[in-house]
Amino acid sequence: MRQLTVTGLHKAFGTHPVLTGLDLDVPAGSFTAILGPSGSGKTTLLRLLAGFERADAGSIAIGDRVVDGPGTSQVPPERRQIGYVPQEGALFPHLTVAANVGFGLPARRRAARTVELLEAVGLAGMGDRYPHQLSGGQQQRVAVARALAIRPEVVLLDEPFASLDAHLRASLRADVLEICRAAGTTAILVTHDQDEALSMADRIAVLRDGRIVQYAAPHELYTRPADPALARFVGDANIITGQLTAAAGQLGMVATILGSLPVSPGSGVTAQPGPVTVLIRPEQLEIVAGGPDAADQHDCLAGRVIACDYYGHDAVVRVRPDGQPGNDEVIVRTTGGPQLPPGAPVLVRARGPVIAWASS
Amino acid sequence: MKSAVQPVEAPPAPSALTAVPARRARRPAGLITATAVIAALLAVPLLFLLIEAYRAGWSAVATEIFRPLSGSLLWNTVRLTVVVTVACAVLGTAAAWLVERTNLPGRRIWAVLLVIPLAIPDFVVSFGWNSLFLWVQGFQGAVLVMTLAVYPLVYLPVAASLRAADPGQEEVARSLGVGRVATFVRITLGQAKGAILGGCLLVVLVLLAEYGAFEMLGYRTFTTEIFTNFNQPSAVPTACALSLILVAISLVVLAGEGWLRGRGRVSRTGPMAPRVAPPLRLGRWTIPAVAAVLALLVAALGVPIYASVYWIFQGGMPAIGGVPMLDAAWHTALYGVCAAAADTLLALPVAVLAIRHTSAARHFLERSTYLVLAMPGVVIALALTYFTEQYLHSIGYQTAPLLVLCYAIMFFPLALVGVKAAIARAPANLEDVARSLGHGRLAAFSRVTLRLAAPGLVAAFCLVFLEVVTELTATLILVPTGVQTLATQFWAYQSNLSYAQAAPFALVMIGIAALPSIALGRFFYRSATARIET
Repeated sequence: MRQLTVTGLHKAFGTHPVLTGLDLDVPAGSFTAILGPSGSGKTTLLRLLAGFERADAGSIAIGDRVVDGPGTSQVPPERRQIGYVPQEGALFPHLTVAANVGFGLPARRRAARTVELLEAVGLAGMGDRYPHQLSGGQQQRVAVARALAIRPEVVLLDEPFASLDAHLRASLRADVLEICRAAGTTAILVTHDQDEALSMADRIAVLRDGRIVQYAAPHELYTRPADPALARFVGDANIITGQLTAAAGQLGMVATILGSLPVSPGSGVTAQPGPVTVLIRPEQLEIVAGGPDAADQHDCLAGRVIACDYYGHDAVVRVRPDGQPGNDEVIVRTTGGPQLPPGAPVLVRARGPVIAWASS
Repeated sequence: MKSAVQPVEAPPAPSALTAVPARRARRPAGLITATAVIAALLAVPLLFLLIEAYRAGWSAVATEIFRPLSGSLLWNTVRLTVVVTVACAVLGTAAAWLVERTNLPGRRIWAVLLVIPLAIPDFVVSFGWNSLFLWVQGFQGAVLVMTLAVYPLVYLPVAASLRAADPGQEEVARSLGVGRVATFVRITLGQAKGAILGGCLLVVLVLLAEYGAFEMLGYRTFTTEIFTNFNQPSAVPTACALSLILVAISLVVLAGEGWLRGRGRVSRTGPMAPRVAPPLRLGRWTIPAVAAVLALLVAALGVPIYASVYWIFQGGMPAIGGVPMLDAAWHTALYGVCAAAADTLLALPVAVLAIRHTSAARHFLERSTYLVLAMPGVVIALALTYFTEQYLHSIGYQTAPLLVLCYAIMFFPLALVGVKAAIARAPANLEDVARSLGHGRLAAFSRVTLRLAAPGLVAAFCLVFLEVVTELTATLILVPTGVQTLATQFWAYQSNLSYAQAAPFALVMIGIAALPSIALGRFFYRSATARIET
């Protein structure tokens, strides 16, 4: 069942177009992330959904009810049953935590529901405090509780974790996800942080230049991005050129500087031989043990280390291929192992299959 | 902590307040209409003045403008304005710096006492000095009296801005090898520049509009001359001509202040943990500093209050209080409350438009309401008088509604400043959240924005009330027949040299005005420290 249906949405501020024909269907009970760089129109989309702005064209329906669209009067925010968690929480500074959570509730249900929600977000007993007495993470929990208190059909989360430090962000993400699932609420999260989108969402809609360029489950988005730009936006990517050679059985093969690699069946490329653009994720590459002296050097790329970013659980090694103009460097993600000094000669090998797009 | 997979581009997430600055659901047609009507209302006196000048004949007015008298009045006005403004800038800034940035003993008490002269009408300060010391008259008398009377207009905003400014900037300057004095000049004064300029602007506008103090000291300016001429039918061209010159000077001052202010902005640069500057240790300068602040307070507060008490005892304690006093106090308070309430309400739509719906045209509309600042009270009163005489057969002239209207027009910009600050404390996205939680437009506005803005609205109300209580010039012209306010009654006694009868009215005026001025001091203190506390 569809909970939210957006069709052909247009919005411009003055002469500056922000949304240019955006379509989106969100299933009931799902957790959907809208991922896009700053200025891609994410917040504008949320504000249109919440009813703070009116669309120039297109329509928005919540369930069966059209709330914004041609021929219908715009349903005001207070009658949309949409919970809204803005950036940085925006708690009412003059009200206690309990009064914030109970703000949208009728008086007779307020007390009980407030207690219930404070418990759900792990702030039981903090109802009498004021927002400025809470930490950033606690403030965000109150903001989430306040939005969920009215039992909204959809809850909109506008980069709610952006201002928190990394550790707090991870634990709050998990908690918010759990609270939304427990409540069965359809949630839409707007973020520019791909980690956040990949780890939290059932489905991710990538927003670029005012429209959705891909709408898919996280795994599909990561492994089969619609175009090279998207591949770069979601995760680290090596984008290299290659030559599609004659089909060998079901899988085509593509010749690259990393040797001949099988093409993933999900690729949009046709079976016509010719130049293609190839995506190899850093974790598909490995540094061959033994370096230049390795026994098996078939389909390997020789190069020198430019830099090695060490993260503990893994490391990212940037390698400049020897004698290969055009491909400046490749990024290799290694698990553990000793740090490689800059300038060290290495051999890099790829594991297929890879995604390929017809070169434009 | 670094993450293995960095966001493709990860600028700091813009705060909710800056991300969607002025994009609202729809064109605020109601607000624009209300603001346009208010701007038109405020322009009415200027319009009347021009009509009156036209009726009097442009050539007659032009003759008046280029009379030698205008030249001497201009010289008097300009030299007084320059000297007093510079003195106020120095005194106000120095006092603010001592109280806010040093370990001056008794800082909290000084902070309150230094604001109170705001509550003492200029003509009462003048009375205090002039009645005790005969040498206080003419130019030097006017400089002394006006400096003591209006320096809080610089002190208040500068103190607030010094308190809110980021001490980190000074520390960075010192770490870059800039010395203590150079840091004060380049950073501290830079942080306070806007506040100093704003304060000086208010000082200049007060000086241009002042009547009572100058009349008492025998110092002739445009305003005293207009006042002398206004009710002589033969002198209408003179009054119009002088008013036009006065308005022109005020406009030049307003434009100059805007130009000087420039585009620089002084503020903290982000939601970093705010800190309070460690106070500078005065060391052996402690006693001179305390002595200086004490001397300022004795001169500005002590002398007027002492003079009032002195004259009461000199008169052998005449009937203090009694019916005339109660009656005058009642009418003063009544007009003050009416004008303050009207201005606070009128400023609300203009402030909401200015803060939340910026666009070039709307900005212009809002700024246009400040033009009233260029209209001294005597000119507004004059314009309203001519209008009622000419078109309403004097119906309404010298009635309470016209007087309140005059006050409301005169003090609208003051109310607007306060109300804008108040609305700015209530971010629009809080109202959005309230609406998403099921509250309608009005309910969200009253339950969130009005609640958060309430202290600022009270401050705006107090500011206008204070100004009305201590207003003399327009009141003398427009006060309803048979009614006396505290100011006019004081003036009547004082003019007859009945100092013993006048003094109690001065004291009551100070008493009534002191309360809102203390409240105001607290509001400015709070709004400057609010960000530090939360």
